[in-house]
Amino acid sequence: MLRARMRRRLGLAVLLMLSAALRCRSASPPGKPVLIGCRSPEKETFTCWWEPGFNGGLPTRHRLFYEKEGSEEVHECPDYWSAGKNSCFFGKEQTSIWVEYSLTVVAFNALGNTSSDLFKIDDVMKIVKPYTPENVTVLVNDTANTPYLCVSWNHPPKVDTKSGWTTIKYELRVQKEDNKPEIFHPNKKNSFKVYNVDPGATYTVDMRCQLDQSSWSEWSTASVVKIPNYFQNEKPFWILVSIFSVIPLLATICIVVLKRKFVKQWLLPPVPGPKIRGVDVQLLKSGRAEDVINALIGNQNFPPAAAWMDQTEEYLLVSDSNDWLLTDPYISQKKKSLVIPAGVQLEIQCRTSAPAQSDCENAEVGKDGKVEPDHLAQTKESVLNVAAPSVSSGSKEAASGNAAGPTGYVDIQQHKGTQGAGPNAAQWDYSWVKEVNGETIFILKNEDAAAGLDVPGWEENTAADYSRVKEVNGDDVVLLQKHDSADSSCKKKEDRSAEWTNQKAKSRHGSDCGKGACLQIAGNGYVDSVPRFYVE
Amino acid sequence: MQQNIYCSCSRCPFGALVCAVWVGMVCLVFCSRLSGMKAASICGNAQAECHFLSLANLFDRVIQHSARMHGISNDLHSEFELYFLPSKNQVSRVGRNCHTSNILTPNGKENRFPVTDPELTEVIMKLLAAWRDPLWHFHQSVARNHRFNGYGSNKSLEMSDMAHELRKGVQKVVEKMQTLGVISNSVGGLASPEALLAADGSGWRFMKDSDLLYCFRRDSNKIQNYLKILKCRIVPEHGC
Repeated sequence: MLRARMRRRLGLAVLLMLSAALRCRSASPPGKPVLIGCRSPEKETFTCWWEPGFNGGLPTRHRLFYEKEGSEEVHECPDYWSAGKNSCFFGKEQTSIWVEYSLTVVAFNALGNTSSDLFKIDDVMKIVKPYTPENVTVLVNDTANTPYLCVSWNHPPKVDTKSGWTTIKYELRVQKEDNKPEIFHPNKKNSFKVYNVDPGATYTVDMRCQLDQSSWSEWSTASVVKIPNYFQNEKPFWILVSIFSVIPLLATICIVVLKRKFVKQWLLPPVPGPKIRGVDVQLLKSGRAEDVINALIGNQNFPPAAAWMDQTEEYLLVSDSNDWLLTDPYISQKKKSLVIPAGVQLEIQCRTSAPAQSDCENAEVGKDGKVEPDHLAQTKESVLNVAAPSVSSGSKEAASGNAAGPTGYVDIQQHKGTQGAGPNAAQWDYSWVKEVNGETIFILKNEDAAAGLDVPGWEENTAADYSRVKEVNGDDVVLLQKHDSADSSCKKKEDRSAEWTNQKAKSRHGSDCGKGACLQIAGNGYVDSVPRFYVE
Repeated sequence: MQQNIYCSCSRCPFGALVCAVWVGMVCLVFCSRLSGMKAASICGNAQAECHFLSLANLFDRVIQHSARMHGISNDLHSEFELYFLPSKNQVSRVGRNCHTSNILTPNGKENRFPVTDPELTEVIMKLLAAWRDPLWHFHQSVARNHRFNGYGSNKSLEMSDMAHELRKGVQKVVEKMQTLGVISNSVGGLASPEALLAADGSGWRFMKDSDLLYCFRRDSNKIQNYLKILKCRIVPEHGC
């Protein structure tokens, strides 16, 4: 019986020992705790946390010991519970700024203890990290036309900003929808206004703060706001404005389109092209050369000058003989000018019938004996050359042109033609020029001359030779009469002058200059032999 | 030269006008310079007449200056640690012993801090005085041994100068406070605190450069903080 009891007790003891042995193998001294970190939220207190190691299967207890700079005294954590599990809270009395702390956490259990590594805090300033700002509220202020955000907040709890112990600095973050956020640093303690906000957009606003260049706090909870779209409120106004501005615009366009020609003319007036009066542009473009020339110069009634020159050259010498070639070049030139080309009649107004013609004193030189009215213009022009006193060589039988006389009477006589170059050569009478002395031409008496002219008598009367004016036509035209006889002409000189003056006065304004030669009437009633023949 | 000027002046009225203008300009330049110097001399000699700035303004300037000084010392210390102490978390039981440790400074908000204004002012002045020589010698050693790069050498010189300037600025603030009657005149006796430091005046010479930078960084932060506290105590209406 005893053996049975002893066996049972032994078994129990073995069991107990086995169990004890088993338990001893699971239990161990605690693992090494690790100090995670410390934080001071307001620069007055701080808290440290640690991570416990394996507890070794046994209830373990952790204790924190610290040393302050400058003293070897070891202190233990004053508060293990205020900050939660595995933490140590240092109150205001235990907290010293600018002092180095050395911390150690020791884990205790039944089997032993294990201490952590030394954790040094150089300066409590370095572990300062404030809480987030409180009560961050964002309001949209939509007075006036520019909306803005009004952000307001409070300082984090337990932070003393009034005594100057800490200087708090805030940072505000505004993010428009998904854009890059904007950072602001408000100067004021409690409020800030954000102005650059767009109507209709959504904004996210949050804040954080900092104490004395310490680490920044966490961002506060974000506030999301939406700016109302102001354009919608003002839409009807803008619709009205656009309508009222479109109507006049449309009206202007309609007017411009309807009256485009007028507008075009007003804007871009046509520039007149060059025009010559009497000339047709189309003719110039398409016409022949002759038409063009006629068109251009058709109005001018220019006589063909070339014919004149030819005739002038042709009949440079009145006489064939060289004896009458004048040596003086000036006189010869004068002679040239005095030579009346062919077909020219000094008497230019002999338009009328033949009997009148016979009364007229012709001095035709040249081929054409006939005087046609068509060539009157030509004659006039040619006789314009007769500027000098009359030296009508060869034109008269007994012509003694008074070249020297200033009045320059023209001797016009009808001769019986001795040398006729044309068909009517019988009408042409010529006189031989004997000599030319200065401006006086001495003409040989012609025995064949049947005119019965008194040449010597004529010669004597070189100073005063007159032509009888038959009729005066107007201011400029004088009709000369043919002389019947020299004597009669001489004798009747005074009478005639009287007649002439009478005639002149009578017919000053007359215009009938159809008979005889028309010569300009000088002031005293005498006919100026400087004829001026006018084109009619 | 002068004869020429006189000659030209006498010859024509335009020349005389030019002369007058030139003389006037010269006078203006000189007068302005004189007035400038005069202003400087007033402030230099008789401080009581320097009423240009208010106390709050002076405080602001001094605080800004101290903040800048602290920033420079912080930069230098981190650079030093980066280049010369590569191993971080260097464990050393032997704490750094700053030569200013004997100066009793309030380290907490409430404990040991109901310090009066004059005491606080004294502490500031002591600290600033204690750092004048060490900073200067630090700069000399840095420049001589080329331990830092050019950036570091410039910074050390700047730090030394700023400490010197700050000390003068704080002196001005103290004088201003004394004229206003904020603090008693006994504080002014600290104008030459070299006598106080005569006992341990050379303790700083044996400090390592790293310790020196570390200590100064901390002390500059203290100075800045104390000045802020002083300001908020004395002129609290200007933004505290």
